[in-house]
Amino acid sequence: MRLLLVEDDLMVASGIKLGLTDAGYAVDWVGSGERAEEVLRTESFDAAIIDIGLPAMDGLELTRRLRRPGMASPSMPVLILTARDALHDRVQGLDLGADDYMVKPFELPELLARLRALLRRSQAATTAVLSFGPLELDTAGRRASIRSDDADQVIDLGPREWTVLEYLLIHAPKPASKEKLLQALTGWDKEITPNAVEVYVSRLRGKLEPHGVALRSIRGFGYRLELQPQ
Amino acid sequence: MTSDLRNRLLMLLVLPLMALALVGIWLDYRSADEAAERHDLRLLRLLPALADSVLAPPIHDSEPPLLLLAPPVEDFLRQNAGYAAYSVRDTSGHLLLGDAWVHGAVPTTQAPEFHSVEYGGVTYRVAVQRGRTGAGELVVALADGSDPRQQWAQQLLLRVLLPNLVLVAAAGLAIHWAVRRAFKPLVDLAHAVERRSPRDLSPIDEAASPAEVRPLVHSLNRLFALVNAQAEGQRRFVADAAHQLRTPLAGLQAQVEAWAMMARASVPASLTLNLDKNKPLAQEGRAPGAIILGVDQIEKLRDATRRTSQLAHQLLALSRADARSLDAQPSQRVDLKDLCETLLETFLDAATGKGLDLGLDVQPVHVTGHGWLLRELLSNLVDNAIKYTPAAGVVTIRCGVRRNAMGPPRVFLQVEDDGPGVPEDERGRVMQRFYRVPGTVGEGTGLGLAIADEIARVHHALLTLGPGAQGRGLVVTVVFPPEPPAVGA
Repeated sequence: MRLLLVEDDLMVASGIKLGLTDAGYAVDWVGSGERAEEVLRTESFDAAIIDIGLPAMDGLELTRRLRRPGMASPSMPVLILTARDALHDRVQGLDLGADDYMVKPFELPELLARLRALLRRSQAATTAVLSFGPLELDTAGRRASIRSDDADQVIDLGPREWTVLEYLLIHAPKPASKEKLLQALTGWDKEITPNAVEVYVSRLRGKLEPHGVALRSIRGFGYRLELQPQ
Repeated sequence: MTSDLRNRLLMLLVLPLMALALVGIWLDYRSADEAAERHDLRLLRLLPALADSVLAPPIHDSEPPLLLLAPPVEDFLRQNAGYAAYSVRDTSGHLLLGDAWVHGAVPTTQAPEFHSVEYGGVTYRVAVQRGRTGAGELVVALADGSDPRQQWAQQLLLRVLLPNLVLVAAAGLAIHWAVRRAFKPLVDLAHAVERRSPRDLSPIDEAASPAEVRPLVHSLNRLFALVNAQAEGQRRFVADAAHQLRTPLAGLQAQVEAWAMMARASVPASLTLNLDKNKPLAQEGRAPGAIILGVDQIEKLRDATRRTSQLAHQLLALSRADARSLDAQPSQRVDLKDLCETLLETFLDAATGKGLDLGLDVQPVHVTGHGWLLRELLSNLVDNAIKYTPAAGVVTIRCGVRRNAMGPPRVFLQVEDDGPGVPEDERGRVMQRFYRVPGTVGEGTGLGLAIADEIARVHHALLTLGPGAQGRGLVVTVVFPPEPPAVGA
């Protein structure tokens, strides 16, 4: 995964770069919006992390420009960093094409979690295969499997089980609410009850938990895909 | 203030009224006295006529002397029937004619004497004279019960005292009412100033105040403006300082976070248990001047940095939550259910990491307010709950509508945990800035509840602390004011 980091503060930039590199990403770091625009014309990235408070061209302007045709891929997620916390910045940033934002200072694990979620969503939009730990979902072939060292093991899923798992997988590691799962299921059934979600979740548990993938209940909310410690 | 003035006015007005009443009584008494003298004179004039009415001595010794009442005496007795009587006695005091009770000591001289005699509940004026009559030397007496002086004394209460008392009481009431009326604007102003909290120093409407207190209102407003300006300056300073701190802190934190991650990643999971955590990881190949820190030390450094960042963030939030700085920002409709769900997502990892069961109990409700502030409020409450609840605890975020028997339904937001809770006598103090319950474990800044309380106040909501369902833990509830009915709905 190749990331573009646009940040003028040396300390922040080197910290983020260090952390991201350590997490296994390739990071290209530029210190200004103008330079970022140049780089984006010629190179392609899987995601961009942009600071709003850049000298000259600010991060919001850069975000607006890179969404123009011929710049970056439209599916490239953009995460903006801001030292300001007013709602205004957030709304403006998200309107201009950013996918998420974080307020500085932030905790690195959270940045990594958000980045993972963004990449997973963009991946779901561009590629047919969604993965979570050993679990792989080939959305084009409608095939779910568990990867292992010797041979992949296919998991047989009913259409409604598939819908629930796909939704959970797209949103992992964020939890998915029961309401949203129900909405996803109503495409199949008009007359579906909230209990149905529980039924499919419990069936999925039976099929996935032996392979270390858990569907954890979040009290009063919904479910979340988690990896069980082996 | 007004009661003092009222008392003074009462004193000033009632004392002259009392003096007037006394003068009135005295004058009344004087006129009664004059009338009484006239009565005495009449009795005096009638006495010789009574003496003349005794015409002749009795024919037998056992009989009374012959009496034929003279016309003036007869007229007097007839006119004052029931209140007049006479008697005729011999010089030894033996009753010859008339009523026995009309008596007096037998005078020794011929000069008339006056006595007061009580008979049948009436005080009579009795004139007695010793004189010559047709039956020799006798004592004649005339009694008159219509004495104005006596009647005056009897009627003093009804005729004089009562009207005066009524007058004084009426004057007192009138003064009471008038003072209250006259001072209402001043009292209203005092109440308006008293009701204010230090957070509300908006000017008082000068145009709505009566002309008499307008200069006072004007001075008060000037004072408010000065205090406001000073508080605003201080608030802005804190906000600016916190904001300026965040940029270097962001750099520091990014660096330390990266080190901590790398350090943790460089220790194989299986080794962490029996590794001396403070032992440097790699001894070889270090640059000159480099020092080596253990994973634990780096993580301590990272945690301290996180706390410092959080403090800067909270200070900024606190200064922003100040009511005066919010006037410029419009309120929006905030979906509390959505807010609770967002915060559940945000804190899920922290709670899971600590082995806590973080859950929701939400109904779809909305309030009007500042979304980012309410998020800050709830975030501080959830953060506290997670921080202070020990492993395997339960933390629940709630929102809904509370229906009371009295009053309109109220929207509430609540965070409940089953941690150590807050003792009742500490509950007031934990809202204070930088206050932490003595003996508290965990790393807090002591600002979380103060911020939550401040934000609740900005929304005219009430933040309360209470014990959990089983008497354990802490329940923090924010009850919002009833929403005004939507226009056109």
